Amino acid sequence: MKSKDSVKKEPLISGHKINKYYGKIHALKDLDFEVYPGEILGLIGDNGAGKSTLIKIISGVIPKNSGQICWKGKEVNISSVKQARNLGIETVYQDRAVVGCLSVAQNIFLGREPVFSWGPFKFLNKKKMYQETSKLAHNLKLNIPSPDQEVRFCSGGEMQGTAISRAMYFKAELVVLDEPTTALAISGVQKVLAFVEQLKKENIASIFVTHNLHHVYAAADRFLVMAQGGKVAEAKKEEIDVEGLTNLQLRKNEENISN
Amino acid sequence: MKIPEKLQLTLVEYLIWVIIIITFIIFSLTIPRYFTLKNILFILYVAAPLGFLVFGESVALLTGNMDLSLAQNAGLSAMLVGVILVDWAPWLPGWFGIVLIVLVGALLGAINGFFIGKLDINPFLITLSTFLMFDWATYYLRRGAIVNVPKALLVAGGGRIGLIYNAILILLGITVFLYILLEHTRFGNAIRSTGGNPQASAMLGINVGIVNFWTFTLGGALAGVSGLLYIGYLKCIPSTIADGAIFLAFAGAIIGGVSLKGGRGSIIGALGGVILIGVIDAGCTMTAIDPALRGILNGFVLLIAILINRSRDSLRDHILMPKIRTEVRIKK
Repeated sequence: MKSKDSVKKEPLISGHKINKYYGKIHALKDLDFEVYPGEILGLIGDNGAGKSTLIKIISGVIPKNSGQICWKGKEVNISSVKQARNLGIETVYQDRAVVGCLSVAQNIFLGREPVFSWGPFKFLNKKKMYQETSKLAHNLKLNIPSPDQEVRFCSGGEMQGTAISRAMYFKAELVVLDEPTTALAISGVQKVLAFVEQLKKENIASIFVTHNLHHVYAAADRFLVMAQGGKVAEAKKEEIDVEGLTNLQLRKNEENISN
Repeated sequence: MKIPEKLQLTLVEYLIWVIIIITFIIFSLTIPRYFTLKNILFILYVAAPLGFLVFGESVALLTGNMDLSLAQNAGLSAMLVGVILVDWAPWLPGWFGIVLIVLVGALLGAINGFFIGKLDINPFLITLSTFLMFDWATYYLRRGAIVNVPKALLVAGGGRIGLIYNAILILLGITVFLYILLEHTRFGNAIRSTGGNPQASAMLGINVGIVNFWTFTLGGALAGVSGLLYIGYLKCIPSTIADGAIFLAFAGAIIGGVSLKGGRGSIIGALGGVILIGVIDAGCTMTAIDPALRGILNGFVLLIAILINRSRDSLRDHILMPKIRTEVRIKK
């Protein structure tokens, strides 16, 4: 069901016949997918549909068993988180990938801190970290009093914002958002949706993984519905409404039960 | 009048120094000749060997680990190097012993680091077993004491320049080094994040195993320096060297505000912990108090410190909190 303009463009990332086994469990079955530059793909499906497995493969946490992944048309082998980051793939894991006892600035730059050299030694460029964090917080309308604010005092939405700031600062081209709204209060959800909107404005593509159809419907341009490790349907936002998505998800489940 | 927030935070952050000053004043008022430059320097001098164990323990705690073997590491490093220089290879130059003792300490620390960082085994279990091995290896090498210690080994822990003991200079130098390492380098950030949230750190591409390995190696090197200072302080190398010091090493770190949960604490605080123990120790020595009572007092101070740190943390949170609270209120 691809529309004409998305066919014209080359996908940013695409997967072909991807398989993943956990022992005897066939978690991904010949899955095909693609994400185009600057679009928000809603990846939906019930628990156990294979969503997490797919994004773990994309972000380099686990390897696939077979199939191929292409990044900007070239086949790549994403074997580590570092490699995914080097390609430009950043993953936001709910509020799990922040360190509470470190400041917002330290969290954004963790592992990739700007440094200045003094002879053979490298020291943190704290001033730059502080300034860049202020800028990012301003752009994203993060509600933090200062970049020195410890993350454990942040609300759930702010924590996601911290993680999303990383993607923006390090010029990611694809951001994978793993259940970004699940653990949040309503205000937090709106905040995260605004963050995702901001990513789109900066022409950063994202994969929005969730089972909350209402949240994803508000944000996404296109949807990929998964069940039992395979693709159930793909649809553009214009072609389907929330009810339609719900039915797709439910129907597949019922089929599985009746089978 | 409201005390400015920044000052409040600074006071809370450096509470240990306030306590040190108060304790010091109390002793100065009650003990004659306590408040003299000579005594102050002596307090630091006596506390220096323990100080390095406290530092080693602090970095281990910051990564969310612990190291039970540090004092025994100091003892074994000292004894092994002593035996090498005196019995096995007396032709080695004395200064080489200084380098060797730090290297041996680092190597012993690296053994812990390998099992904890590479094989991901519980640090309590690993350092408990190395504690036993290091302890008895020291005793196996020599039952009794090496008394004819080469002069070069005594300089660091026993010598002085003018009024200032070398040990104090080394302690302060290493404090500066560790401060820069922890606060101003990527490795320091990695140590804190590993202690604060190892899963998140790993997701962000920090190699938690490597960080743990090097932290234990660093802790071991610090234990080696501690061993060197004990030699200079005692002027000999007894097989019981640094025995039991591990408890005070933990106490010093905790008193200094280093959190057992990992990630939180500072080297300046740890130095404060060392000095407080030293101040109390000197007070006890000068009043010739029963050593058993002194031991009880140390335990009591630790207990008080734990309680103070607990309320300190919540006080700190309280000072930092209000700004966020208003935001939450708007949300609801």
